[in-house]
Formats: sequence, C-alpha cells, structure tokens
Amino acid sequence: MTITTQSSQPGQPTLAQSLSAALAETQLRLINISRYPGQLALEIVIPIIFAAMPMLLGRATGGEDAAANFAANTGTANYVAYLLIGSNVFSLVSNAFWHIAYWLRFEQETGTLEAVYLTPTSTLTLASGVALYSIIRGLSSSLLAYVIGCLIFQVNPFQGNVLLALGFIAVGLLPLYGMALLFGAVVLKVKESNAVVNLMQWVVSFLMGIFFPVTVLPPFVRVIAWLFPPTWMTNGVRSALLGVGYFFGEWYADMAVLWAFMLVAPLFGFWVFQRTERSIQRNEGVGQF
Amino acid sequence: MPDSPRLLRGPAAFLSTLLAMAQKELMIMLRYPVEFVASFGQIFLIVTVLTLAGLMFAPRDAGAEGNSTTAGIVVYGFILFMFLSDTLWTIGYNVRRDQKQGTLEQLYLSPASKFANLLSRIAVSLVWTGLLCVTSAWLMSTLIGRLPAENLLPGALVLLFALSGLFGAGFAFAALTLRIKETAQTLANLLQFVFMVLCAPFFPFSALPEALQWVARLIPLSYGVDAFRSLLLGLPAGYPELAPLEVEIAIVVAFGTLMPIIGYWLYRLEEDSARRRGTLSEY
Repeated sequence: MTITTQSSQPGQPTLAQSLSAALAETQLRLINISRYPGQLALEIVIPIIFAAMPMLLGRATGGEDAAANFAANTGTANYVAYLLIGSNVFSLVSNAFWHIAYWLRFEQETGTLEAVYLTPTSTLTLASGVALYSIIRGLSSSLLAYVIGCLIFQVNPFQGNVLLALGFIAVGLLPLYGMALLFGAVVLKVKESNAVVNLMQWVVSFLMGIFFPVTVLPPFVRVIAWLFPPTWMTNGVRSALLGVGYFFGEWYADMAVLWAFMLVAPLFGFWVFQRTERSIQRNEGVGQF
Repeated sequence: MPDSPRLLRGPAAFLSTLLAMAQKELMIMLRYPVEFVASFGQIFLIVTVLTLAGLMFAPRDAGAEGNSTTAGIVVYGFILFMFLSDTLWTIGYNVRRDQKQGTLEQLYLSPASKFANLLSRIAVSLVWTGLLCVTSAWLMSTLIGRLPAENLLPGALVLLFALSGLFGAGFAFAALTLRIKETAQTLANLLQFVFMVLCAPFFPFSALPEALQWVARLIPLSYGVDAFRSLLLGLPAGYPELAPLEVEIAIVVAFGTLMPIIGYWLYRLEEDSARRRGTLSEY
C-alpha cells in the first residue's frame, strides 16, 4: 500500500486517485472516438462548410464590393478569416455542450448513470475527464479546420498576433466548460438533451456573434451577449488576428473580463450541477430518464 | 370451418393503418414539449444568424428591398433544407430508432401495411416542419421587412413536387440505413452538408465555382431549390440560374413523380434482403 492510495476519510478517493479517474475517463473517450475516423474528419469539414455559406451568399449579393461592405460593417475586409473564426469558436462551444450533455444522457439511457453514482468517484471528477477529452478533441479539430479553411480560401491563417489569440481561447475554455456543466444540470433535470443542446448552441452562436459583430444586436440583447464568455473569446481572437477592435479598447481589459468569467463560471457551474444532482437523488433518482 | 387469417388489405384498411401510425408519430412528438419548443427556436435562430451574416456584405445604406431579397434567398432555401434534413432523419434514420427500440421486427409481424408505416413518418415532417417554415418566414418578415412572395401558386406546386421527390429519397435512405446501420448517422450528416453546398439553399448558384455548378446541375433537387426560390422572388434578372424555368419545372415534376416509386422499390428490396438474412432487428 502506498501513501497516495490512502484517504483521509474511508471510502473517499485521494486527489491522486481522482486525477487518475479523470484521466482514465479522458483516455477511454479518446480511444472510443479514434475508432470513428469518419466522424473526426467531418468535424473538420463542418466548420469550413458552415463558414462557406455566408461567404458564398455575401459574394453573390455584395458582388465586387463584398469585401469593402464587409469591412464597413465589421472592421475587417478579411471576411474569410472572420467567418472561419466564428464557425470554429462555434464548433468549440457546440462540442463543449454536446460532450458534457451527451455523456450524461448516454449514461442515463444505457442505465449506467446510477451505477456511476454508486462508485466512490464523484461525477464532477468524471465530468472533468470528459471536459478534458472534449477540449483535446474540439481544440484540435477547430485549429485544423481554421488552418485548412484559410488555405482553401487562400488567406494567411497566421496573420496578426497568433499567441494572443491562443491566449484568448485558452482562458475562454474554462468558463465555457463551466457553462457546459450548467447545461449538464439542465439535461439531468429535463432529460431531453438533444433538444436543449440544439437550442442552446444556436442561442450562444447568435449571442456570441458567430458571423457578425454583436454591435448589430439590439442594446438589450447586446447586454445579454456580453454575459456569455464565448462572446469575449470570439471577439478577442478576431481582434488579435484581424484587428477588429476590443470591446474595452485594449486586449488586457478584455482578457481581464475573461479571467473574471474563468473564476466565476466553473464554480457557478459546479454549484448548480451539484444542487441539481442532490435534488434528483432525493426525489425521482438518477436512474429515471 | 374457421376463417383463414385475414390480412389488412384494401384502401380502407390502408388508410386506417396510415392514420393510426401517423397519429402515433404525432403523439410521440407531442410527448416531448421541450423538443417541440426548442426546434422552433433553433430554426428561427439559424435563419436569423445566416441572414445577419449575409447583410454584413450589403452596403450600410442598403434599402429594405435589398435586405428582404437576401432574407428571401436564405428563407426559401432554408425551407427545402429543413425538409431534406427532416427526410433524412425522420423518414430515413427513424428505421434505426425502431431497430434500437426493438419494435421494427414486431411491426413486420403485424398484418399492417409496411408502406403505411413508412408513409406515416411523413406526417410529422409535413405538419411540424411545415408549421416551422411558415412561422419562421412570418417572423423574418416582421423583423427584416416583407419577404418577396410572388407566384405563390406555381411556387407551391414546385414545392409539392420537390417534397414528393425528397420523401422518395427518404425511402431510399431508409433502405440504406437497413444495410449500413449506425454509419447512416454519419452519412446523414454528410449528405446534409453536401446538399448545403451543391444545392445552394443559402446562396445563389452563381456563387459556386463553375465546376461545382455543373455537379449541381446533375442533382434534381438543385432545380427544385432554384425554381422554388426564383418563383417566389418574382423571377428577378438572372433567375432561375440553372436552366430555363420550363425545363426546371419538368425536371422537378419528374423527380417528384419517379423518386417515391424508386425509393420505395429500393426499400422493399433491402427489407426483403434483411428479412432473408435475419438482420431486421440487428443493430
């Protein structure tokens, strides 16, 4: 017996054991998805096609002035990179919601969620493992989709401050998964994960300004948009790479807002998730779906 | 001497089976109110997002007319995209749902018409997706300005034939689902994206590179999108884009008439093969 396997409370896992469980969950999911290369390829293709829709529509309706009109409306004439950033951040957001929500729903439907609750490993440990898997999968496919998309449409993917853009993504991921946990709680409660996630990913895409600046939204909607971390993440990446302008004028001010989200959103997500869990355990039980 | 077991034959029995099955499908749909409301919100948001994206390419002083044409291109293309998506999932992939739930084999043991079973899935698509399309078009008109809505009757006829063809394609996809099983999910996703590019539901065909425009011309549904959109936009200069209107209508009518027959024939072939192999309930 080693010290790391001993716990302060009988039946409670140590930090090392929790970490090991989370990593095992990540590994399990990565092995599983590696068996579906077609699905992985599709994840790279989808954001490119999705960004191509407004690109083709805009080129056809805007004609020769398309780039100039786009610059007047958004602050950059590089609409290819602008739209690809939007579709890839959207892809990251969708992945976060789907992976967390679908994990819970899958366990519910296959009847293993109750068994998971009987193990000494907490669901939050497992959720962290799923989140790590989701980050690895989402980030790699989004980065690849952005680079390939830029190359297909013949623009330079590495213009602007790439490191700062990556910084905005890294800082934005934690609050994003905090939000995903909130939706995990909703799925536990209302069960219909597909409907909830489908709707929420579009609500967030609309609010974060997937293909347009949030300044075109009505003032009330704009305020709600600023409460969503993906809005700051998208604008931060666009400003770092394309110079469209930070919300507060300077990158560090916008980054500070994301840091604030990073501290608050995961804690809030954990709190809501645990409360929902306890409420369900006390009432109908987690086995019902 | 007791009567021999009776099969449910004849038009009355077929209609009764179809109604009962359509009622069952609609009842299942109503039992998921969150999904019901969420799908409406989702449609509205997708159309809004794409329309706003299109407007980013318009001059700032573009009038309401320019905006409503852009919205018209997106909304009318989106109507056909919605039905295609619904066809692939509700008609095609739903066979898989029955397999997973273990009810497909039981359905085949009953004396009810198999065609009615397949056809009943169209009911949900027509009722719910139709309602969604009308409401989202109305909402977009309220938000952006009146959508161009010319030639309503010919437009509706083109839509009718295009939908008939789509449902036929749905039957064919159901046949394919019986064969390829879970891979059908990835294929349905892929087909949706192929349609999004080649049938140009969200942008004019002229935006496609020349080579892809020729590929688009090989897909009958492209003519459905083009004719439907052009008619409702009031046949502006340059529309329809793929062929003269009469040619497009002839292709759409042929597609709407032949595809259901071909699709159902393929489904029966695959169904017989699955029964012989004993794989109908396998998943």
